[in-house]
Amino acid sequence: MAEELIKVEDVWKTYKLGEIDLTVLKGVSLVINKGSFVAIMGPSGSGKSTLLHIVGALDVPSKGKVFLEGKEISELPEDDLAQIRGRKIGFVFQQFNLLHNLTALENVMLPMTFQGIPEKERMERAKELLTDFGLEKRFFHKPGELSGGERQRIAIARALSNDPEIIVADEPTGNLDSTTGEKIMDIFIDLHRNQKKTIIVVTHDPHIADYTEETINIMDGQIIHNHLEKEAAEEKILWERQKNT
Amino acid sequence: MGKTKEYIKIAIRSLRRRPVRSWLTMVGVVIGVFLIISLLSLSEGIKGAMMDQLNMMGNDLIIIMPGEITDITTMMAGGLELTEDDIEAVRKAEGVETIVPMNYKAEAVRHEGRVKTILINGVSFEYGLELLRNDMGLQLTDGRWPIPGKKEVIVAKVVPEDIFPGMEVGDEISVRGKKFDVVGILKSLGNKQDDSTIYMDLDLFADVTGERSGAKMIMAKVTPGYSVDNVVENIKDNLNESRKRRRGEDLPSFSVLSSEKILDIVGNVMALVQVAIFGFASIAIVVGGIGIMNTMYTSVHERIREIGIMKAVGAKGRTITILFLIESGFFGLFGGLGGIVLGLGVAKLAEFAVQTSAGFYLKASMSPFLILFGLAFSFLIGCIAGYLPSRSASKLKPVDALRYE
Repeated sequence: MAEELIKVEDVWKTYKLGEIDLTVLKGVSLVINKGSFVAIMGPSGSGKSTLLHIVGALDVPSKGKVFLEGKEISELPEDDLAQIRGRKIGFVFQQFNLLHNLTALENVMLPMTFQGIPEKERMERAKELLTDFGLEKRFFHKPGELSGGERQRIAIARALSNDPEIIVADEPTGNLDSTTGEKIMDIFIDLHRNQKKTIIVVTHDPHIADYTEETINIMDGQIIHNHLEKEAAEEKILWERQKNT
Repeated sequence: MGKTKEYIKIAIRSLRRRPVRSWLTMVGVVIGVFLIISLLSLSEGIKGAMMDQLNMMGNDLIIIMPGEITDITTMMAGGLELTEDDIEAVRKAEGVETIVPMNYKAEAVRHEGRVKTILINGVSFEYGLELLRNDMGLQLTDGRWPIPGKKEVIVAKVVPEDIFPGMEVGDEISVRGKKFDVVGILKSLGNKQDDSTIYMDLDLFADVTGERSGAKMIMAKVTPGYSVDNVVENIKDNLNESRKRRRGEDLPSFSVLSSEKILDIVGNVMALVQVAIFGFASIAIVVGGIGIMNTMYTSVHERIREIGIMKAVGAKGRTITILFLIESGFFGLFGGLGGIVLGLGVAKLAEFAVQTSAGFYLKASMSPFLILFGLAFSFLIGCIAGYLPSRSASKLKPVDALRYE
């Protein structure tokens, strides 16, 4: 029996946009097992990124509960969540999100700095990670001097710096050409297979979903479990669009 | 420590990313600190010079001057004199050991065909020479002390140096046709004005200048065993008595000051000046601080996304606060450093200019305390100015910050 790592229970998320309340997640429940490789798929605006943020302790639900390793995290204050993110979760973003005025090495060292790891150890670990990803000649380059693929590899190295259990990636290949994207996906597959990381990837590219073991489809803030539900949801969206036009 | 070092590195990187803005922000602080440092070090120097001179005076000395010391206009207007009766009244006061009436007047002095106007001090050599030596700090560099009653003078340091270059002991000078021998040259007293005078026996002074009676100042030495303050009171009482008897006046138009009291007055006036300087310069620094705050708010706004990234990879709110505080603290610190360098430079220049032209041996005081204070103060201003922007940065929600374009 697989070990439960993350459990999401009836999570709702509502944003206030001025006067209007926008409900992005409408009662989502899911379980992510330790060591699994999960894709969250859905069209843009479906709430998949919001779900990823909540799963990755970057945001808290408006309603519902989130458990990490059996401990509820949905009502923790921001600083506690920061601590959890720093130690247990590594983030990879579509826009790479590296700090532009720091070098590749410094970017990878940053999460370790926040965890109070001594400088020598930080440096060694960062060099090791960058070398693993073939970036040994890029230590002292700033992100602006590097290609998209290189930047994303730095971002992955940064995500791995504190050796987290979970890697959360929000459309990690979205800003890359298909060849480079494939190489990045190979890294995730390798991390999953050889380092037993739990990987959660948000994407709207069905090819990427082929790599993963499990796919969570989300549409209009709800998880779609089978074809019937999917069709029903699609019809509903179409119908609402027609109504609006 | 490792963390702080890294944070400092990150902060400096951010400062260097916008060099023009960083420089401009610092200029605000530089001006404030520059004002504080230059003005305080100069006023401290002036105070030091005055105190040094006053400290040469023995503390059992009382000075009696015409006019109210608090009434600057009458003092400055001059022309007030102490009469023979006043001198007698002081002499008779209980606890007064000796008195030395002094008079002074600028006169044309001739030396080897050159004529210059010099301030001549008339002092009773018989009673006053000892007092001048022991209590006023007069010392000879050359020659000997004059013999009372003889036509001998001593000249202060600047006279043979600047006024009559080449003048030596044994030379002759003439004042209003009367000849005097220069028998001694004095050591510097610390200011050019005092160093540009000639000392003459009071009786001869009266003959030469025609100022036969009275004095512009009396110095009285307290008999050992008497309290200086009591003797000051005695002198005041005596003077009041004698004036009342003579003219029915009861307004005291004289000042009786112990050397301690004079030190007090000078100290107080200078302290007041310094407080005023500090107040005005502080306003300049506060304006600089507002500049820092403005820059920091802009900086936080520009880096919202960066803040989101740092939070996503594990930075706590406190870490973000510290990062921005270090940055604004650096604005203050570097601004302060610039201000100190500039301030000390200008103070030194002023010192040089004053010494060469104005006849005042001013020494700009640059105590390590003042420098340290300037640095600490500007750093503190930087931190205070950065506090609110840092707080607003630390309170950003990571998701909102990451989404910010």
